[in-house]
Amino acid sequence: MSSPAVTNPARPASNTLFASRRFWQLVALIVIALLPMVLTDSYWQTNLIICAINVLLAIGLDFVLGYAGQLNLGQSAFYGIGAYASTLLITQLGVPFWAAFACGVVISGTAGMLLSLFAVRLRGHYLAIASLGFAVITYQILLNWISLTQGPLGIYGISPPPSMSIPGLGKIDFSNLTNLFYLVAGFAFLVYLLFDQLVRSPVGETLTAIREDEVSASSLGVNGTKWKVFAFAMSSAVAGAAGCFYAPFVGTLVPDAFMITESFTILAMVIVGGMGSLVGPVFGAILLTILPELLRGVGDLRLIVYGVAVTLVVMFMPGGMVQAGKMLAMKLRGEKNVARKEPVQ
Amino acid sequence: MTGALQPAAEAAERPVSPAAGKPLLVATGLQKSFGGVQAVRDISLSVPEGTVFAVIGPNGAGKSTMLNLMSGHYQPDAGTLHFDGIAMVGVPAHVRVRHGIARTFQKIRLFKQLSALENVLAAFHTRHAIPAWQYVFHAGAFRRDVERCRTEAVELLSFVGLKHRIHVTAGALSYGEQRMLEIARALATAPRLLMIDEPAAGLNNAEVDALLERIVELRMRHITIILVEHNMDLVMKVADRILVMDYGQYLFEGTPAEVQSHPGVIAAYLGDESP
Repeated sequence: MSSPAVTNPARPASNTLFASRRFWQLVALIVIALLPMVLTDSYWQTNLIICAINVLLAIGLDFVLGYAGQLNLGQSAFYGIGAYASTLLITQLGVPFWAAFACGVVISGTAGMLLSLFAVRLRGHYLAIASLGFAVITYQILLNWISLTQGPLGIYGISPPPSMSIPGLGKIDFSNLTNLFYLVAGFAFLVYLLFDQLVRSPVGETLTAIREDEVSASSLGVNGTKWKVFAFAMSSAVAGAAGCFYAPFVGTLVPDAFMITESFTILAMVIVGGMGSLVGPVFGAILLTILPELLRGVGDLRLIVYGVAVTLVVMFMPGGMVQAGKMLAMKLRGEKNVARKEPVQ
Repeated sequence: MTGALQPAAEAAERPVSPAAGKPLLVATGLQKSFGGVQAVRDISLSVPEGTVFAVIGPNGAGKSTMLNLMSGHYQPDAGTLHFDGIAMVGVPAHVRVRHGIARTFQKIRLFKQLSALENVLAAFHTRHAIPAWQYVFHAGAFRRDVERCRTEAVELLSFVGLKHRIHVTAGALSYGEQRMLEIARALATAPRLLMIDEPAAGLNNAEVDALLERIVELRMRHITIILVEHNMDLVMKVADRILVMDYGQYLFEGTPAEVQSHPGVIAAYLGDESP
């Protein structure tokens, strides 16, 4: 493990249990295990699964945006590519679910890699526009390549992942929402651990260096192109995995699920949660999945909720929920300089 | 300026032997234009290993362009460049680092949001000894590598006088400290050739003295140094050889003493008196 003193020198030596990542990861696992037992009706279990899928999408975007500093607005496309690729492999070619899942992840990751190879010279607004263009094109293809995707008619009757026999637990049937939640949330948890390990290794230092100043990073031997392509590929592969879970969960695929607004929703989750930390986007994804459900009565006004939430966060709390949480924790400990600002350069 | 051009005692006393080491960096006929402006015209140089080689000249003489050509941040329009016998034209900057070429920037380019320590740690990029799988499963080799980099980073920060500032955000450091941090960061790549772009700009006298001491120390550690600099005092005190550029062209090359007595150099700096 990298020494915690490196990443957070201000962290007090006391409270080591609450400062330990492993402790909180264990808490997260327990929460995942308990949630479907507490929320037993199918409405809330459905929402839990959507939360888990959105968490995957958000941490995937955060890896490329929060760490490597590349604004990727194509996340909805990679999500869609994963969903359609795996579903078509299953329904058209009879590929087994998990093989199709692996293919979906690889195809999305490859699509991300190709997009970033073309867009790698672009940065900031230009990259955002290029990836947005990719999302629009992908949506149009899903909509208009009717012989393959059945266009707006959609693909119906997608079966849930095949049941699995686990020694000691017996046969696990994924048409059961609780089990499906455990599958998706468990996968999201593993992806979180993977990213967490990566960003705490020199890979995290390298990606952050690119985010901060690519020319400077190149003077330290960092191949900016290679690492940006890597971050893009990881990000889109994870979005593809989310898509592979989405299709059998909903049972129906229509292109409208992968409109570009989905990219902005995922972006909002990352920003509201806090870019550049992995835990932030997890909470951002949960909040922005549950909040609109609670606001279902107001209909499309929920889009305004997104807009207002993002605007308020960017204006007053650029570090998102993570920053708010840190400030709250400091206040509870009675520390001063709660509102200490980072020096602006 | 006249004061700065007076012979410095140290420069006069120090034995200067241009043939001390074999040439580490050799450039011939380098050219670079931006639009219609010829920033570097037909510059050749040969930097012996283990020496301090300075490039001086008035503003706009093409010194920084020259440095960018040598670091790979620009590629030349014509000419050749060899580092330790290896052709470098067309080799991108990040690859040259692996050959042992490091640099700092005239306009400071630190990772401003990161701490001084994190800035230096990022510079170990090419020097990690971690098996790929340990990036995900942090085992023994990973821990040893992290520990080694951290220890070495702290040593480098102590070397430039920033040991007490390691956890300070780079953007919050004073200007002089930022300059020294850039040098520490470049050194973390374990260079054989360190190119420093105007390190003394904006530094007070005490800071310039500290910088000079560090450069002398690096030279003793057999790191070859190319110094692009305006501060004549500093250059005269540390340089073994000096290349003088003006309007992108070669003006003169020689020892500090020769440079100080060369009429063309004095004219370029102080203005020509002849009509």
